[in-house]
Amino acid sequence: MEEEPRVTVLEDYLKGIEKKVDNLKVLIEVSSLISSTLDLNDLMPLVMEKAKNVMNAEACSILFYNRETNKLEFEVAMCDENSKSDILKKTITLEMGQGIAGWVAENRKAIVIEDVSKDSRFFQGADKMTGFTTKSIVAVPLVGRSGLIGVAEIINPSVKDYDTEIFELLCRQFAIAIENARFHKESIEREKLKQQLEIASSLQKSFLPESPLIRKGKFTISAVNYSAAQVGGDIYDFVEPSDEKMGVLIGDVSGKGISAALYMAKFISDFRYVSHGLDEPDVTLNRLNSLVSKAPRGMFLTAIYSVVNTVTGHLHLSVAGHPPFIWISAGEVRVMTVESGPPLGIMPVEYPSVSLQLRCGDRVIFLTDGVFDAKNSAGERIGFDPVVEFARRHAEDPQLVSRIIEYVDDFSKGMERADDLTMVEIWWNA
Amino acid sequence: MKIEVVDCKGVKVLALSGDIDMYSSPDLRKELMHFVHKKVSPLLVDFRGVSYIDSSGIATFVEGLKSMMGYGGKLKFVGIPEKIMEILCFAKLDRVFEIYGSIDDACRN
Repeated sequence: MEEEPRVTVLEDYLKGIEKKVDNLKVLIEVSSLISSTLDLNDLMPLVMEKAKNVMNAEACSILFYNRETNKLEFEVAMCDENSKSDILKKTITLEMGQGIAGWVAENRKAIVIEDVSKDSRFFQGADKMTGFTTKSIVAVPLVGRSGLIGVAEIINPSVKDYDTEIFELLCRQFAIAIENARFHKESIEREKLKQQLEIASSLQKSFLPESPLIRKGKFTISAVNYSAAQVGGDIYDFVEPSDEKMGVLIGDVSGKGISAALYMAKFISDFRYVSHGLDEPDVTLNRLNSLVSKAPRGMFLTAIYSVVNTVTGHLHLSVAGHPPFIWISAGEVRVMTVESGPPLGIMPVEYPSVSLQLRCGDRVIFLTDGVFDAKNSAGERIGFDPVVEFARRHAEDPQLVSRIIEYVDDFSKGMERADDLTMVEIWWNA
Repeated sequence: MKIEVVDCKGVKVLALSGDIDMYSSPDLRKELMHFVHKKVSPLLVDFRGVSYIDSSGIATFVEGLKSMMGYGGKLKFVGIPEKIMEILCFAKLDRVFEIYGSIDDACRN
């Protein structure tokens, strides 16, 4: 009978193999932990607890790198007492290069320090604040695809033959997991913001007149309003200050998003209150100006408020820093740059007013900058003059406003609408 | 947008370049308000490199101007490109802000 070959294996070698198997087990466990959740708050303590147990350590911590302040901040600190963790998280930040963690972050290198008392880089402030005694540290940088994420530290491990390889491997996986969790959180926040913007957009629309078209006598007053993807602050409104008159407002709030929508909502309620029974547009703007002057963050609003007598065709208007408007009379297209005050909400000022005498068949078109600021895919803006030229070529078209919008949309084809677009037309029908 | 802070004969100049819009305005606000809190005056803003400004950008300057008026500070714009001047004129903001052709002009006045 043939004798089986005998293999002699050294005990140390076997121990080494056993250790590698144990390490692999830990890595597999951490991998499954990482794939089990995208919530960073759940993930970090789980992984660090695992690392702490492997090294039989007294404490562990994760410091995140804050790009804005260029400092390291304690995100997770696990030790014998929660109060010590809280002190670290609330009170201690490290400069780049400060302390062991600062050195690891700056040099992007793992480090093992068996006796911190002999290392001049060690920052004693944390121990003084918490009453904890740090003897030894294993610190590894957390580096992801987008650069430095932070530093992971194991404090006072009782395993003396430090094998940083396992901790480094673990941290590499961990860095990827942190990035994935952050991307996930950002995408959830983006989705939330999108939903909030959609609500803001619907709220904004609900403040506009129920019908965008109103007829009074021989006058037709109509408006079109398209919201930007980011929700702008365009506004229009129709009021009846007296039997024969119609008040027509167009405005544009500075900025975009929820703040612009809220400001617009406040403004429209102020406008309806102030304009009630008042047919002098300059006085209306003066009063509105003082009401909106305390808006935060320098917010302001450009506007034109006009009051048209639907019997005589007399148009009285006042302008607050709003772009010029178009007056089409007997086929001639005129760009009207009239005397104006600054936008509402900036400074105390008396707004001037001007009067125009419309004739039967005349059209007055007010617009916001969303019309002439529209961008094409090459990043060029359409500009005010080309819009006016287009209006000249189509001055007789009853659907002129729709034609202008088609022209703008065609120019910015394939682009997301960057700003609200609003046009209001006063037409003395022939 | 890029913001460069330049010291010109003892006068602080914010030299801006690129688009000032709702995405870049927060950075501009941070820098501008830093000088406003220090009650710096005059504070010059060099627009020569600016390609576009929207209403959020203008609102940032309005906030800066209003805050500076509180301590008698002066916010001065210099080197405004034609297209941006057109936007400011449309909105009658050329009457709100002090506008100069060059840094030297702004310092002299």
